[in-house]
Amino acid sequence: MPNSFDPQNPPFDRLTPQEMEALRQALDIGYFRPGQTILGQQAAADSLFIVIKGAVEERDADELIALLGPKDSFDSHALVQGQSRHAFVAREETLCYLLPRDVALNLIKANPRFGAFFYLDLSRKLDAMARDEEDSRIGTLMRARIADMPLSPAAFIDAADTIETAGHTMSQIDSNALFVRDGDRVGIVTGMNLSKATVLQRKPIDTPIGTICHYDVISLRPDDFVYSALILMTKTNKRRIAIHDGTHYVGILDDIGLLGFLAGNAQLVAGRIERAAGLSDLTVAAREIGEQVRILRRQGLKVEVIAEIISDLNRRLFAKLFDMVAPPEIRGAACLAVMGSEGRGEQTLRTDQDNALILAHPVEAAILDRFRADFTTALEGFGFEPCPGNVMVRNPIWSQTVDEYGTMFRRWVALPEPETHMDVAILYDAVAVAGNAQLLADVKAGLVEAVRGRSAFMVHFARATEAFPMPIGFFNNLLTPDGKGDAVDLKKGGIFPIVHGIRSMALERGLAETNTAQRIQRIVEAGTFSRDFGRDLTQALYLLMTFRLDAQLAAAGAATALVRPDMLSSTQRDVLREALGVVKQLRDIVRRHFNLGAF
Amino acid sequence: MIPRPIKRLFHQVSLGDQDYRFMFEAGPPDEVVALDCETTGLDIRHDRIVTIAAIKIRGDRILTSERFEVVVRPEARMSVDSIRVHRLREMDVAAGARIQKIIPEFLHFIGGRPLVGYYLEFDVRMLDKEVLPLIQIELPNPMIEVSKLYYERKYGDAPPGTTVDLSFASILRDLDLPVLEQHDAFNDALMAAMMYVRLRDMKQRGVRIPREGQSVRPQATIG
Repeated sequence: MPNSFDPQNPPFDRLTPQEMEALRQALDIGYFRPGQTILGQQAAADSLFIVIKGAVEERDADELIALLGPKDSFDSHALVQGQSRHAFVAREETLCYLLPRDVALNLIKANPRFGAFFYLDLSRKLDAMARDEEDSRIGTLMRARIADMPLSPAAFIDAADTIETAGHTMSQIDSNALFVRDGDRVGIVTGMNLSKATVLQRKPIDTPIGTICHYDVISLRPDDFVYSALILMTKTNKRRIAIHDGTHYVGILDDIGLLGFLAGNAQLVAGRIERAAGLSDLTVAAREIGEQVRILRRQGLKVEVIAEIISDLNRRLFAKLFDMVAPPEIRGAACLAVMGSEGRGEQTLRTDQDNALILAHPVEAAILDRFRADFTTALEGFGFEPCPGNVMVRNPIWSQTVDEYGTMFRRWVALPEPETHMDVAILYDAVAVAGNAQLLADVKAGLVEAVRGRSAFMVHFARATEAFPMPIGFFNNLLTPDGKGDAVDLKKGGIFPIVHGIRSMALERGLAETNTAQRIQRIVEAGTFSRDFGRDLTQALYLLMTFRLDAQLAAAGAATALVRPDMLSSTQRDVLREALGVVKQLRDIVRRHFNLGAF
Repeated sequence: MIPRPIKRLFHQVSLGDQDYRFMFEAGPPDEVVALDCETTGLDIRHDRIVTIAAIKIRGDRILTSERFEVVVRPEARMSVDSIRVHRLREMDVAAGARIQKIIPEFLHFIGGRPLVGYYLEFDVRMLDKEVLPLIQIELPNPMIEVSKLYYERKYGDAPPGTTVDLSFASILRDLDLPVLEQHDAFNDALMAAMMYVRLRDMKQRGVRIPREGQSVRPQATIG
């Protein structure tokens, strides 16, 4: 009865105490020497293996698929279907718990929550995981601290200052509340106090603030929990809480801010963009878009929904900006397009911006230059990172006429250079956001025409799917001596191969869709992928995007796509391993389809 | 002291109860039993056994699902010191069986299999004390001492004067084994079992345990 078996290790944490006891009673421990096959490929397993110490290679014939470390378990396929998909070989001296098959199957049958992790398809497994995540997210919200929230600034005025001064100060700092200093006392005055005093009580606007403000200020500290603010507001029936760090007042928390933090306010951002009267309004909205991602994710929205909301907001922002800065000569005869991940509707946290201008006919150089400069300056003002590849309106090759684009494509296809393929990829993902959308449609039709039947070009294009090695080192957090585990780039190792592999197959067919999931759907409809594989591929993409987004959010918005395996639970590593297995299948399909091996 | 192999021949004759003749027959091939006892102290004459844990090992598989684990009901009161070490209070052992009842079950469990343990000699002598009055023999099983296997792998080729460390913690660390809570007979037997499968494999493959930085490290002065 190894009582050392960790009952907290998912999915075993879903077992009842009695089930855990039954499991412990049945466990044996196996020792495997380096190179020893623990479970052969296409073999039946008489046990579920849970690694205690050591490292295990998951292999498909000669190819290394993944490395498994402590707390990882294998192989649900062999257990449930009676046949393993891959072989499992000890890489170093390895100890595993062995849970007999019949005991494992009984637990799977008796406990559906536990059993869900042994589903054979990724989609159902993910659903089971999502339900768990929801619980933990509510937990996260309950643990959020006031310091994590946007606060109104702590601005002070003197009790002797007038209502008029207070009103102007509020307007200047765009805040609806101010601290009032009256000797040692501190009070709060709000916009509503000003209105009541002047409108209802008809006080003159030179009335000192000290006579109309409240001194019964309630306060909390930045490290207090957000929920304590909610409780305090409810109890005291106050709409504002002063935040005091022990020496100073650092801000004011109001009920709107609190509700926005808890619920998100994407619809308000859309409204703000719509109503924006100038660039400064748009700048505020642009910043708010970024904040929505965190809020929406915390609410438990799926990554594809977040991407859709954020893409919609970004496109509105671009459209509004275009309306503001484009002169009539351009507005009537051009199309603004967003490209790359933004065009596919797959951008969440803003990484970079690819955008282009397509002109119906040549525009006077001075006007065009001026627009490009204004547009670029505005984007920089919004805090958008410039595109590292300079795929932007400000780059002359990304603001040309339809005909010039056509000439460029023919040159690209005839004399491809390495970056040419990426340029084709970026443009093929373009979506019109403002101006005459037909212009982009014409340009993309020209692109599809230019590559049609050019199999040599398509082979080179598709080859980028294999540009990065599979992140197999991912699961081994043993081999790093510092114990930190290898961080893995999910973008290169998983997201990019899916996006580009699918893009290659879509371009070959000349599909009009830009979104990867929609492209997959079309490829399934054409009969190239099975329905099941299409679904698994889409789920794998979303899973990788989710892990990447969570890693980015945890790294405070850094553009990192690195995920640390030791930050993941063994269940998360397990589904990630499966998702990467799906990526590998796609790579194989793309390799065969374009005959990449032959070149 | 008479060497065990000679004792074994003698006991084969002196065996009081012929039902236990199986003790002298070799167990199933490739099976051994890892063993640990918790006792009231280290004095073989006066101290006594509190718990016994034994785990069969078949090849490289540690059969924790088929284990022998018992608490012995004491004949006399327990000392406070011993309770501190193994954390079994009088009320915990009260439900245990008398040693006379346990020993036959234990002997049937181990059969003629070799015994594996850490400082096994002590555990075996403690058990002999109980076995002898029952069937007039001492345990005839071959004994495999894990600290000896470890010594061979690590210090077998060491130059004279090398500081030898055979502590339980060092063995666990060198073999990269999980550290379970100690002074629990089952855990101690399980750790010994893991040491055994690991060391046996290293021996078969001719792998040695590196001695850290073969140079002499400064020792803390005593006194």
